[in-house]
Amino acid sequence: MKISWNWLKTFVDLSDVTPEEVASRLTFAGVEVDAITPLSKADHLVIGEILSCVPHPDSNHLHILQVDEGKEFGIHQIVCGAPNARTGLKVIVAREGAKLPEVTIEKSTIRGVESDGMCCALYELGVDKKRLNEKQLSGIEELPSDAPVGETNVLGYLGLDDVILEPDLLANRPDLNAMENVAQEVGCLLDKPVTLPHYEDPVNGESDFRVSSKVAACPTFGAREIRGITTAPSPLWLKQILESGGVRSINNVVDIGNFVMLLTGQPINMYDADKLETRSLEVRDDYQGDFVAMDEKTYALQAKDLVVCSGKEVGCLAGIMTSASCAVTENTKNVIIEAATFAGASIRHTSRRLGLASESSARFVKGINPDQTAKVLTICSALMKELCQAKEVLSIPTYDAAKHETKVIATSLSYLNGRLGTNLAEDEVLSVLRRDHMGITKGDGDTFTVAVPSYRIDMDGAADVSEEVIRLLGYDRIHSKLPIVETAHGGFNEKQKNQLAVRRYLRDIGLSEVITYSLVNQAQKDAFAVLTEGENYQVINPLTEDHEYLRKNLLASLLDVASYNVAHQEKNLAFFEVSDVDTPSTKGRHLAMVEVGEESLQGSWKKVPYDFYSVKGVLEGILNLLGFTMSRFQLHPYVDTKEEFHPARTAILTMGKQKIAVLGELHPNAKKRYGLGKAPVAVMELDLDTLLSLRTGAPKASLPPRFPSVTRDLAFVVDQKVTFDDIRRSIVTLNKKIHSVEVFDVYQGENIPSGKKSMAISITFLDEEKTLTDGEVATLMKNIQDTLSTKFLAEVRAA
Amino acid sequence: MDDPKAQVAKAKEEALSALASANTVEELTAWKNTYLAKKSPLSQLMGLMRQIPAEEKAAFGKTVNDARQEVETAFEAKKEQADKAALEAKLKAESIDLTLPGRHYDVGKTNPYWLVVDEMSAIFASMGFSIVEGRDVETDHYNFELLNVPKDHPARDMQDTFYLGDQLLLRTQTSAAQAHTMLDSKDKAPIKMICPGKCYRRDDDDATHSHQFGQIEGLVVDKGISMADLKGTLERFVHQLFGEKRQIRLRSSYFPFTEPSVEVDVSCAKCGGKGCNICKGTGWIEILGAGEVHPNVLRMCGYDPEVYSGFAFGVGIERIAMLRYGIDDIRRIYTNDVRFLKDFQEK
Repeated sequence: MKISWNWLKTFVDLSDVTPEEVASRLTFAGVEVDAITPLSKADHLVIGEILSCVPHPDSNHLHILQVDEGKEFGIHQIVCGAPNARTGLKVIVAREGAKLPEVTIEKSTIRGVESDGMCCALYELGVDKKRLNEKQLSGIEELPSDAPVGETNVLGYLGLDDVILEPDLLANRPDLNAMENVAQEVGCLLDKPVTLPHYEDPVNGESDFRVSSKVAACPTFGAREIRGITTAPSPLWLKQILESGGVRSINNVVDIGNFVMLLTGQPINMYDADKLETRSLEVRDDYQGDFVAMDEKTYALQAKDLVVCSGKEVGCLAGIMTSASCAVTENTKNVIIEAATFAGASIRHTSRRLGLASESSARFVKGINPDQTAKVLTICSALMKELCQAKEVLSIPTYDAAKHETKVIATSLSYLNGRLGTNLAEDEVLSVLRRDHMGITKGDGDTFTVAVPSYRIDMDGAADVSEEVIRLLGYDRIHSKLPIVETAHGGFNEKQKNQLAVRRYLRDIGLSEVITYSLVNQAQKDAFAVLTEGENYQVINPLTEDHEYLRKNLLASLLDVASYNVAHQEKNLAFFEVSDVDTPSTKGRHLAMVEVGEESLQGSWKKVPYDFYSVKGVLEGILNLLGFTMSRFQLHPYVDTKEEFHPARTAILTMGKQKIAVLGELHPNAKKRYGLGKAPVAVMELDLDTLLSLRTGAPKASLPPRFPSVTRDLAFVVDQKVTFDDIRRSIVTLNKKIHSVEVFDVYQGENIPSGKKSMAISITFLDEEKTLTDGEVATLMKNIQDTLSTKFLAEVRAA
Repeated sequence: MDDPKAQVAKAKEEALSALASANTVEELTAWKNTYLAKKSPLSQLMGLMRQIPAEEKAAFGKTVNDARQEVETAFEAKKEQADKAALEAKLKAESIDLTLPGRHYDVGKTNPYWLVVDEMSAIFASMGFSIVEGRDVETDHYNFELLNVPKDHPARDMQDTFYLGDQLLLRTQTSAAQAHTMLDSKDKAPIKMICPGKCYRRDDDDATHSHQFGQIEGLVVDKGISMADLKGTLERFVHQLFGEKRQIRLRSSYFPFTEPSVEVDVSCAKCGGKGCNICKGTGWIEILGAGEVHPNVLRMCGYDPEVYSGFAFGVGIERIAMLRYGIDDIRRIYTNDVRFLKDFQEK
């Protein structure tokens, strides 16, 4: 809806307010005015008449004009390039000193000829080019022959002295698609009386034409038959109203329909009565087949599309567009006027499916006042009589299955004040509601009822009344306070705190936290599917194939981030993301991390390449942080067959059968696919939800041992395949006094036979009961060496 | 043979004179090996004792001891000085390039999205709100129906929502958590919660639109909860997030699940309300939508609207992040360019 300030002024006295003030009031009351646009911007204009027009001697397109600018200004010579400049034409002249949007007019000499002023096209005065036709765009504006020469209020004469307010209407106020209701709203906000135009019904007979509806989606169908009309251009006032409302003027008949729509919000449809198959119209929803609309395009209609039929022929795609076969033309003499109510949902459905929308369909979709059929037909009839010299105005019985009951809402002052947190007085509340055209009936105590005007289709209950009161009085009437709510607990729960701690830990050790899109493409949906397998959720109506599936694992998304950054010359990266990952059969939350390149320890001159152990270290850190010991989990080699993970440097952490994490280095071919080249890449994905759901015992204080411990080192050579964990387990299970085993060196290469590795471990002995003797330790060391020799064929190098 | 006393003096003088020219640790060690060795004249002075008459022996012994003491003291002093000089020289030789970077561990960066989520969650947690975690996949019932968005409402059109099935969709608003929280409350106890989460709408990605975005929903339900409570809560929130000097104002608006509904503006940080390019000359910046919970929503979720009332609000996470950090394009948040992330770090 575009609100013409000039038109609005005819309903409400706006002499003491500016468009900006009204826009601000509307905005705070929930009608946000997006733009305030003057139709044109120019001064120092006058209407002139071209007395003579001769070609410029030194140009093949310029003319030298003598222009009469009336008694006050006299005759001036103007050099003009417009092709339509000619003797006798009435034109708009911008005089010396005129400020136009693009230029300021000064006396000048054009190719040796003096020029004093400029003949203007409308777009040169700032009029939107979209409002102008080709002729207006290609030359100077041609004023009517009766235009008053010497008139300086040229913009007023042309109706271009208007300002257009453009509100961004919210879904609850479709009533403001009608100028009448805008006037009521503005009158209410400014506390000023509103004068709506009154029309006498010129009906002078009854028609034999009949209208009806077979569907609930059209509860009301009103019509009139107007006979003997004269089609002609509309008068200036009507053209101006339509144009300021963004509607192009066609002729008086069509314009009347559009005018009534702008005024009342009721879409009007017109049929050429002589082109209809029968003397009846019926709304149906069972038509299937092609339909040629007024735009000359053919649309395939289906059952459920509302149509208005005359006999077997579709006269109109209901609420959207008339048929090409029976639309009114310049030759139409007899007209059927339709004012019906169609259900928004139905119109929206059809309009969207066909990609066909109109001013009319837009209004039905948003909802119209269902209770103004008679009034609307009266206005149409009166204007047809006045502007089209209609000979006969014949009534047709209205089909009406609607109830037309006035909505009455019961409420009370204490309810409203309670909801709003205000202490408003009854007088103030009732008077603002009355100003808002609500019918108030006082009840017992502080109760009252509110009768809602029929155009306010948004109002249903007492809560709506509370909004009405406060939006009109202003939200600054509410004074802040803080709620006191007796809830059982607030803040983060244990699991949330632990998740925050894990995220914080990862950031503290240098990983950055990212967020990526949850919707992924076909290729990504099954990538790195170790922790969560099975089907993904698939979007039925995706926008692009890039975002078609809800991801079930995170690594593919994170590797895309790595890929992007590596492509932008970043060499070393370490980052993670925590995200929910749901599938039709599982609900989960994963943590995934990617490390690329090397960890920089000192600027960029000391670096440690990322590898399996860097991600494993992070995993161990997380488990430590959460209070888990590694012994609760099992680490297995994970042999990937999809060329995603390095087949010999990837592990999976489980707890029984449950997969907790997969961690390892990236397969070289995967690196290639992600454009990561030869840089080291280590990744991990962790089932965070499961981990955070595990119970941990409360921490217990452990006293320092009463007797000293003894530590001995041992170095040996074993087969490369023997794992540290195997060695550790077989040592610690030998004797209770063996407290712990740690590795401090692993070496492969020079001086070590191929296929073997040298390992150095440190063993700590502790007796809880007494101080260990050298002899006892020696015996234990002997045991350990024997075990390593027999069990792992270890060759002890030094003890 | 000289007089024993003269011999003492001579030995002392010789030792001290030699000491005077010994300066380095090495020279001093050599000196010590010469003058304080067992066979050195100074060490052998006691041998002269037998030439001393008995009554003078004590005095002579003292003279010898004093002489030796004096020499040793002089040596110790010199030695200490030399050791100090040697250590200084050694340490000086250990000089390093102090301008090389330290072995520091940088804290990882945090995407501004998470900075906002964490900070806002902490603010509401400190105000006693519990944190509810909804899920991205919702049913039509929870995302729309229970929020008073009936079947024919334009917001439900296919163009706005990603559907996963007939009744299944990606939530378009964290408001879905309202219905879950109310229906899950078995004894219909008072509620004070926020729900941060991801939402999805069928929008083409551009500078200001994203098919995925974050919201933080808030809901308070109890007896007698009014718009004044909403205003007070949001004021407190805005003061904590943006600073004590910021003001809020409410503008009438429309959401299907609240009545009255308001948009909440915060006074512009840059110009303080005078109007500038950040606030487009208005002095105010829209930050969130809110309102008093619609009675239909309470009723459908098992709370009697005659007894209970509540307020709800929804804040766009990226909107706050973009305002706060001057981010010009929402897509930057989801691109995770490290050159962009480098400026964002949790303190």
